[in-house]
Amino acid sequence: MELARELIGLFSAFVIPVILVGFPLYGLYKRVPVYETFVEGAKEGFGVAVRIIPYLVAILFAIGMFRASGAMDALIALLNPVLEPIGFPAEVLPMAIIRPLTGSGSAGLVADMVARYGEDSLFVKMAAVMFGSTETTFYVVAVYFGAVNIKRTRHAIPAGLTADIAAMLFAVWVVRLLFG
Amino acid sequence: MLNYIWAALLISAFVFAGVSDIGDLGRDTYRNGQPLPLVLEFPEGTAASGGRTPVRIQINAGVYQDFYATDESPAPSYDGVLLRTGEGMVLRFDAGAALPEPLETIRGVSRSNDDELQGTVEGFLSPVLGLGDDPTAAQATVQFEPVRFVKMTAIGAAALDFAETAAGIAIGLIGVLALFLGVMKIAEEAGIIYAIVRVVRPVLRPLFPEVPEDHPALGMIALNLTANVFGLGNAATPFGIKAMEELQKLNPSEDTATNPMVMLLAVNTASVQLVPPVLLLALLGLQINRLIFAIIITTGLSLLVAIVAARLYGKLPGSRASDPNRTGPFGEAPPQAGRDSRRGEG
Repeated sequence: MELARELIGLFSAFVIPVILVGFPLYGLYKRVPVYETFVEGAKEGFGVAVRIIPYLVAILFAIGMFRASGAMDALIALLNPVLEPIGFPAEVLPMAIIRPLTGSGSAGLVADMVARYGEDSLFVKMAAVMFGSTETTFYVVAVYFGAVNIKRTRHAIPAGLTADIAAMLFAVWVVRLLFG
Repeated sequence: MLNYIWAALLISAFVFAGVSDIGDLGRDTYRNGQPLPLVLEFPEGTAASGGRTPVRIQINAGVYQDFYATDESPAPSYDGVLLRTGEGMVLRFDAGAALPEPLETIRGVSRSNDDELQGTVEGFLSPVLGLGDDPTAAQATVQFEPVRFVKMTAIGAAALDFAETAAGIAIGLIGVLALFLGVMKIAEEAGIIYAIVRVVRPVLRPLFPEVPEDHPALGMIALNLTANVFGLGNAATPFGIKAMEELQKLNPSEDTATNPMVMLLAVNTASVQLVPPVLLLALLGLQINRLIFAIIITTGLSLLVAIVAARLYGKLPGSRASDPNRTGPFGEAPPQAGRDSRRGEG
């Protein structure tokens, strides 16, 4: 286990440098004008960033209003009676709901839970596993689809949220199994 | 789908803010127009220098709880100053005072330019019962500015705040995007992407059956997933965007997601990672070592769910009807000719 972790850590340290140095080096070998080509590609960076702004604004401001209004707390209160019987603790429910909506918000929540329940508590472990095993679904939708101007997302959000819900349930279950 | 979720977020925000504000007005949560009784001590005497007298503010917990009908209690004392102004005397709490609710909320409205809670001193009642004829203390009542529609103001402010944040995030991405899109261009020209496609084809083809066998999209997807697995979120985003652009070249529609796009998104939101995010490491420190195994199991299971969900939901009648690649009622394919060349630069 420890060895595997070391290896993974080692690999992840090398991935970016290998890509950034290896690709141009191979390009040079293939007689690609690497500098010009790089600049050509890099030019798109600005366009892409600007293109996703409207999508990000649309999603983030709606989520911001939803949180500020207290509707989030109401949703948590509403879901609690449903989840309590299946062994899903109320303490980690805020995390499960906030995680797909905002990355920085859920990181703040982990920090808050560490302060409230202590680093070693089961709740913090569940929240941390939830944080580590899912992504900010709405942000990913906004950025990836925004970059190619996709407005009709079809079943992308239901699929993403299904995976998120599954991950939240698995997180509770796996942590209970390993540490409970 | 996103239309409804988005509208639901906005409408529920508005309704909740409205209901909770009207509830506050009905319960008179903030005791608008009623002065709060408290005791002022003058540690340096009552002589004012330049109109400012330092005071120690004592709020009796019982009085406070009765007054605001709350369970919260104030600290034993707060430091502040008494200001003599043209309009009378103003009591100002020091900045950063740890105030109980609802005073904390009142501070958001009844405040000085530096965000200090302040209110007008209505009158002094001297001598103070229980304090004898101690000249260094006096009982006073303070009136704060009326607080109305806190939540309504808050959601308005949140909307403006988050709009700014969103643009900030996008602008912050420019550098990293440029870096990786530049390198990707080299990889494309040098044929590296095609080499990667050949390696990952057996694994990715079943997930993206609609993508032609040798299409560069598969290579971009592979790089995106690799960066994800190693916890390199910053690098994963440009690869993912590039993969989307490649998939868009195969898309006969301008603005409707294809099945492979949904699959790429689902796999990304499930976020397969072997390396915990840096943020989590920063929050939990070495504790993370014990959690990494749990994270890997959870993320693996949720990846399976993501793949199954993307595939299953794609087969629903609604998703079939909106599929840009659907075949018409007589089995003919929608016109696709000439689109690939047109779309290259996006």
